[in-house]
Amino acid sequence: MNKDVSGTIQVEGVSHTFVSNGEKTHALDNVSFEVPKNRFVSIVGPSGCGKSSLLMMLAGLQTPDEGRIICEGKKITRPDPQRIGVVFQEASLFPWLTAEKNVEFPLSLRGVKPAVRHDRAREALALVGLEGFGSRYPHELSGGMKQRVSIARGLVQDPPILMMDEPFAALDEQTRTVMGDELLRIWEQTRKTILFVTHSLGEAVYLADQVLVMSARPGRIIDRIDVDLPRPRRFEMMSTQPFMELRERIWRQIRH
Amino acid sequence: MRLDATTVRRLLIVLLIVAWEVLPQAGLVPRLFLPPVSATVAALWGSAPEYAYHLWVTLQEVAISMLFACVGGVAAGLVIGNSVRLRQLLLPLASAGFAIPLVILYPLFTAWFGIGPESKIVFASVYGFLPTLLGTAAGVQTIDRHLVTVARSLGASRFQQITRVFLPAAIPTVLSSLRIGGALVIVGVTVAEMLTSTAGIGFLISRYRTLLDSPHVFAAILLVLAMAIAFDWLVQLIERRVAGWQRAIRTEQAPAAAYS
Ligand SMILES: Nc1ncnc2c1ncn2[C@@H]1O[C@H](COP(=O)(O)OP(=O)(O)O)[C@@H](O)[C@H]1O
Ligand SMILES: [Mg+2]
Repeated sequence: MNKDVSGTIQVEGVSHTFVSNGEKTHALDNVSFEVPKNRFVSIVGPSGCGKSSLLMMLAGLQTPDEGRIICEGKKITRPDPQRIGVVFQEASLFPWLTAEKNVEFPLSLRGVKPAVRHDRAREALALVGLEGFGSRYPHELSGGMKQRVSIARGLVQDPPILMMDEPFAALDEQTRTVMGDELLRIWEQTRKTILFVTHSLGEAVYLADQVLVMSARPGRIIDRIDVDLPRPRRFEMMSTQPFMELRERIWRQIRH
Repeated sequence: MRLDATTVRRLLIVLLIVAWEVLPQAGLVPRLFLPPVSATVAALWGSAPEYAYHLWVTLQEVAISMLFACVGGVAAGLVIGNSVRLRQLLLPLASAGFAIPLVILYPLFTAWFGIGPESKIVFASVYGFLPTLLGTAAGVQTIDRHLVTVARSLGASRFQQITRVFLPAAIPTVLSSLRIGGALVIVGVTVAEMLTSTAGIGFLISRYRTLLDSPHVFAAILLVLAMAIAFDWLVQLIERRVAGWQRAIRTEQAPAAAYS
């Protein structure tokens, strides 16, 4: 009974069909998986297969037609940023707030005192390597820096779980590689459970302990691949035999 | 030497004022059509108490109309812009209303509300209300819905979604609608005063015109101009204060816009 459930996620038989203007889209079909504590799990799949929808449900932003999502032993019914931090693809910072105020935003919603808020935001910005950039507005930051601020905002309440929906998709390749390594550093430092959606197979393998492969719509989990490459991961690993084999195995399934 | 836009603009204004003085003085333009600046300012100064009284009447009418037009227009615009059904139902009506030259209805307003301040206030309120509503409703739709989702994921309640995301995001468009709506309120009040009234700057313009006293007419016009410019400055000041982020983004995207 007293099992430690902190940082765990269970998805049980989740199916969902969107109806808009009378048109039905069967997005998810009986999706089930479990994520243990401190795991880094990537989700890949063809575009439009329901990855974002799945993440919206995991974040409590949308209720699935069928099935349940259980997070730390409790069914998810609405967003709970103190347990789940969410990072979206891009343009997710409030343009009228400075980086620091963006990071403070979830704290101010809860009425946390300004002094406490300020300290926590600074810590979070330091964690993502943005010390001294707090007073900049989003339009004064590069794409990579904006995503760092988003990550800081997701982590500012120290939730055990972090969900990311293609967070680096809009970045150029170099920045993207740097951000991947940064994310791994943050993960190792904070020991979060991370669910990471991406359409880059290389990125999925490079970062994760396990890769969940989804089929084309309606999205189902068609493979779970354990990535047993040693950590810390290094850029050079991407050209090694085991890495390429894993990548190919995923590619073969997504291709058809 | 290269002149920047501001200097050129100032030079132009100075040039205009000089022309305004010199042309009638030199007899190139009849004084009845265009009295020199000096005569206009003298008229203003000589009848200062009268102008002050009528300006005060006009300002009160403008202030009250502004309240109705701007608060009402923004509120209605926010509500309508947010509802697909209301939008489909009411926006065509509002646009059509905006296209009607409302001035032709003004005699009706005097029949309903008399020739005192009430008819001016009602007329100017309606006149400024429609563009404020249309601008706000259009602006609301350009707000990035994704940011509302982001706020929800960060734990924002319904109420917080409105106050913390929706309103700040809407402020720039609301302000530019206010700018147009407010200017129209000033036009509305003065025009109504010119048509039928017993007090106000518009009333002075029309009375002195009947007396063929051009310097006094121009003095009154100057006051209306000053009022319009002061209002515009005020809105711009607020804009700079609360919507600097948007200005900065716009400038960044289109460096040429830095001139405006
Ligand atoms: N709110 C919605 N209403 C209608 N259809 C939707 C909605 N959200 C997503 N969809 C549809 O569901 C499918 C899956 O979308 P999404 O989860 O965004 O896919 P992915 O992130 O894997 O690219 C797509 O076909 C998309 O058009
Ligand atoms: Mg997606």
